Amino acid sequence: MTDHKPSRRPAHDIQQLIGNTLRIGVTLACAIALVGGLLYLLQHGGEPAKDYSHFLCTASDAERAAYTTLGGIWHSLCAMTAVGWIQTGVIVLILTPIMRVALSLADFVQERDWLYAAISAVVLAIIISNSVGGV
Amino acid sequence: MTILAFTLILLLGAYCAGLLGSLTGLGGGVVVIPLLTLVLGVDFHYAVGAALVASIATSSGSGSAYVKEGITNIRLGMFLEIATAIGAVCGAAVAIYLNNNFIAILFGCVLVLTAVMQQRRKSDHDGVVGSEAARRLRLYGTWPQKDGSLKAYQLRHVGGGFGVMYIAGVLSGILGIGSGVLKVIAMDGIMKVPFKVSTTTSNFMMGVTACASAVVYVQRGQIEPGIACPVMIGVLCGALTGARLLKTLDVRLLRRIFCVAILLVALNMIWQGAHGQF
Repeated sequence: MTDHKPSRRPAHDIQQLIGNTLRIGVTLACAIALVGGLLYLLQHGGEPAKDYSHFLCTASDAERAAYTTLGGIWHSLCAMTAVGWIQTGVIVLILTPIMRVALSLADFVQERDWLYAAISAVVLAIIISNSVGGV
Repeated sequence: MTILAFTLILLLGAYCAGLLGSLTGLGGGVVVIPLLTLVLGVDFHYAVGAALVASIATSSGSGSAYVKEGITNIRLGMFLEIATAIGAVCGAAVAIYLNNNFIAILFGCVLVLTAVMQQRRKSDHDGVVGSEAARRLRLYGTWPQKDGSLKAYQLRHVGGGFGVMYIAGVLSGILGIGSGVLKVIAMDGIMKVPFKVSTTTSNFMMGVTACASAVVYVQRGQIEPGIACPVMIGVLCGALTGARLLKTLDVRLLRRIFCVAILLVALNMIWQGAHGQF
């Protein structure tokens, strides 16, 4: 294998780190969402189920902001509302694979594998730019 | 129906979805969408948001194990994620303009393709001579055998694989499912990557692909807290149970039954979609 540069440490380490990041991220996300879910059921469990049969018919703009914008979610979380906790769990869940890409990027840089550092950076840039700029 | 009842039904359904998804290797989203739309009468736009959450949860949950075993080709996954992420962004951008019936028909077609592709032979592609592009990109890898040794493999048709991955990304952005079937077609069918490496790398990529469109879905309000929460928890617990069962259970019969089941669901989706019933 002449085309593989010898890496300074076994590739195994980074694979362990990525594996652990994924596991911890998912567990954390679920734990946060679980708190939210229990709050939600305690506060609203007895009410009739919402009508989800038509997209965007049930909530007003102000209500929607509480779970669709980062600021709104943060506010709801601080106010200890169920929706705030659940959406924070969703955000942590979404961040988990993004963290994985960032970790890979750091690892490729450390191994001076510039080609793959660039590739990871492109993937990260696509996700971030779409998250910030996308509608 | 009260919120409590709705949540418990969804939690149970999502648990089964995660369990079946992990036992059959198709991911949780494939079951979550029909459960929400056909059984609970939820709008497709919410169902797709829930499927995205389910895809990220299963990918991260089960992906961690395979990465540790060293089967996943991280370089290959990272390179192809460029294609799937761009595809997912495009998919999410057009999804808002699509109506429920169109999404239903598209979903049905992907399910049919999935069921058909489940029947093919699983090949290790011994003795594939890799292409120059793949060598330059250093996509060749090794994977562990049953006896603990490492086996090297090469691959080819990088451009073709990249193109199909873009389409997989678009479908993932529209439907919220991992579209693992197209990923495996790209890697196993076109690039001639060993089957086991294809499926684990596909699963590994699913989370990042889903992330590329997930934030847009959150901003649009398509990820509803009341649906996302039970789906996330249920699917993850189901997937973890599935991963444990997979070590001891022979799932060949289950896979065959499941294949017929998703084929029926797919035809139902296409039929109802074609008649404008969503």
